[in-house]
Amino acid sequence: MADRQDRPVLDVAGYSMAYRTEEGRYDALRDITLRIRRGETHALVGESGSGKSTLAWAIMRYLAPNAEDTGGAILVSGEDMLGASKRDLDRLRGRKVAMVFQDPSSALNPTLRMGEQITEVLMRHRGMSRAQALAEAEAALTRTGIRRPAELMKRFPHEASGGEKQRVVIATAFACEPDLILFDEPTTALDILTAKQILELFVTLKAETGVAALYISHDLGLVSRIADTVSVIYKGEIVESGPAAEVLTAPRHAYTRRLLAALPRPDERIAVPAPAAQPPLLSVDTVSVRYGAPGWLTRKLDPSAKAHYGARDVSLDIRPGELLGVVGESGSGKSTIARAATGLAEFEGAIRFGGRDFTSRRAFDRAYRREVQIVFQHPDASLNPRETIGRILARPLRLYGLVPRGQVEARVRELLEMVLLPAEYASRHPHQLSGGEKQRVAIARAFAAEPKLVICDEVTAALDVSVQAAVARLLVDLQARSGAACLFITHDLNLVRQLAHRIAVMQHGALVDAFDVADAGAPGRHPYTRALLDAVPVPQPLRDPA
Amino acid sequence: MRRLLSSPTGIAGCLLLLLVFVAALFGPWIAPYDPQEFHVTARLQGPGPEFLLGTDQYGRDLLSRLLNGAPATVLFGLGATALGVGAGSVIGVIAGVAGGRVDSVIMRVLDGLLAMPELLFTLLIVSFLGGGTGQAMLAVAVTFTPGMARIARGATLSVRTREYVLAAIARGESRAWIVGREVLPNALGPIIVEATIRVSFAIMIGATLGFLGLGAQPPSTEWGLMVSEARQYMFRNPWCVIVPGLAIAITAMGFNLFGDALRDAFDPRRTR
Repeated sequence: MADRQDRPVLDVAGYSMAYRTEEGRYDALRDITLRIRRGETHALVGESGSGKSTLAWAIMRYLAPNAEDTGGAILVSGEDMLGASKRDLDRLRGRKVAMVFQDPSSALNPTLRMGEQITEVLMRHRGMSRAQALAEAEAALTRTGIRRPAELMKRFPHEASGGEKQRVVIATAFACEPDLILFDEPTTALDILTAKQILELFVTLKAETGVAALYISHDLGLVSRIADTVSVIYKGEIVESGPAAEVLTAPRHAYTRRLLAALPRPDERIAVPAPAAQPPLLSVDTVSVRYGAPGWLTRKLDPSAKAHYGARDVSLDIRPGELLGVVGESGSGKSTIARAATGLAEFEGAIRFGGRDFTSRRAFDRAYRREVQIVFQHPDASLNPRETIGRILARPLRLYGLVPRGQVEARVRELLEMVLLPAEYASRHPHQLSGGEKQRVAIARAFAAEPKLVICDEVTAALDVSVQAAVARLLVDLQARSGAACLFITHDLNLVRQLAHRIAVMQHGALVDAFDVADAGAPGRHPYTRALLDAVPVPQPLRDPA
Repeated sequence: MRRLLSSPTGIAGCLLLLLVFVAALFGPWIAPYDPQEFHVTARLQGPGPEFLLGTDQYGRDLLSRLLNGAPATVLFGLGATALGVGAGSVIGVIAGVAGGRVDSVIMRVLDGLLAMPELLFTLLIVSFLGGGTGQAMLAVAVTFTPGMARIARGATLSVRTREYVLAAIARGESRAWIVGREVLPNALGPIIVEATIRVSFAIMIGATLGFLGLGAQPPSTEWGLMVSEARQYMFRNPWCVIVPGLAIAITAMGFNLFGDALRDAFDPRRTR
């Protein structure tokens, strides 16, 4: 009996896996060794492409057809997963191992009521009758803190919020009382405040059930709050593992150190010196943006038809050379403001820039468009895939006639150097570059126009931590060199506190708070601002390994 | 081109098309007999050493007729598709880029046209224009236009909201530049693929029209007409239906496979 208690719930011993591709074998996981005991939360941390999700799939035995195991063993509660037949797997999945995915909206079947999706699992894996399963599902949902579970079970996934959906997914995973649950970035797709609640739920449920958890994440700050032990994975290999407190504060491996050093820390300011008080460069004056305004016929037929406000009566000022951070959850209207200021969305109200008033997006002329540039969130989507990098960068130069025809090529080389990319990238296509490199090109394109204001719409959100830090530093560096002001839209509070001079907070399309970055902790902040700040832990300083 | 030939689909498609185009370009010269010559003593024969693919009810050599009919059949398919795709994509891209009311009006009209079955619509136009190859081609092109416009609009819409297009709009680019350089090259993939697949449809509709006596007229060697004429003798010599039928199928399949391979080759993300 003692032997059973001691046995790890998950025992991955020297496991390797490879994908067969047209170019030959690609080793996705190399010699992975990992043990999780009952009641333990083991965090697996790595950047995109490191193989962290692949390992989860390998444990679940749900791999692409071109994947092959190349050595080692995976045991869950002593059962060999590698040798398991399809029938064994059916028995093991759900009862012994369960999984929680990143995006709750794609993890649930949109055509089934959420109650059915839980009861289905209970009936299949625990052999319950329908009535039993319904009662058990309700109890399971109650444990996840849902107030009216019976009502929620009758709803379809699209009728629930992201947080509610993730609770349903988590309730389903816990419902069969498995020995091990794999969490694959369960909070990444959620808003800051919801993510915090889900994380608290995870901690409570785990304490109640004593389940072993493998928690996959790229977020080191988050991991420090929940994990007992941590493994850091890099290019398919575990480079460091140990107790969370040790790994996260006194890392031994260079890669872990680099990852931790890249975490934005509000007290390590990297902003350009605050510019002197000057009249604003750009003023957004009671700007509202409406989406989906109904036509006259719709209005006649349905008097209740109304437009939806993406932003309502927002007023902002940006001074020359300043970096203004705009934060808020998704749907708070922060990107809407960027769209209005760049002429991508029709707006009401006025935008004042360099002494001129614009009251409609049609009024924006070429001079305004040159001086106000935008960089988007997704580096993969913001560069035309059919053009070379050189042509992409040359376009603003030619469009605005900034340099004589013969010097365009030289200027493109200069721009590439400016964002620390080799000059020969000019002849490459966007798909040959990594995400961080593409984002550098997008930033270079914005600065190529020699703008006075650059609007950055979540430019670091799609990047890995270490790349994120480099891009943020690059941006500040370019800002210092060119003297341009920057409107930096983000949901990363630690990052914005590092970069910005002032911060504006948006919620439900309205501006709720604006303050100097030094006053972030001051009393009298809006409750929503405080909630946002409290939801994000400030990373601990690094020590040398003991 | 090398990319196109690196997949089995591409090789198969290219080989079939090569066969078809050799037949279409040199057919009349390599045909062993005069396609209209009657061999009274050898009617409705199966394939043999003398007549490689057999003969029809008048004793005409099927291989020679097939080779002679190839240019007409292939040109018909290409011509009808080019016209239809050209008109359709222009309309679709205009609707997709303009959006709003223009889009609604154009698309509702096209939806109305789409509601009519393709063949019926073609027949209607042919009966209006009168029979003949040229008229049939025009009719097929008109029939293709609404469907192509819908596909072109869909492709345009999916590209129009991409961030690089937004970036171009924010930069203050002209509408012509946005359509020509940012939207169209990226929306072209689905349009080209659909076009190559449509060539096979066009050939089949052309054959159907020939079969119904509304397209090419006897003694033309158009393949659909050949099937039509031989229909009565199908049970005495199935070869006179199988041979042109198979030729139509091979051509259609060639264009189809080629279209698939072309889509893969066109996608810059597929290469490493």
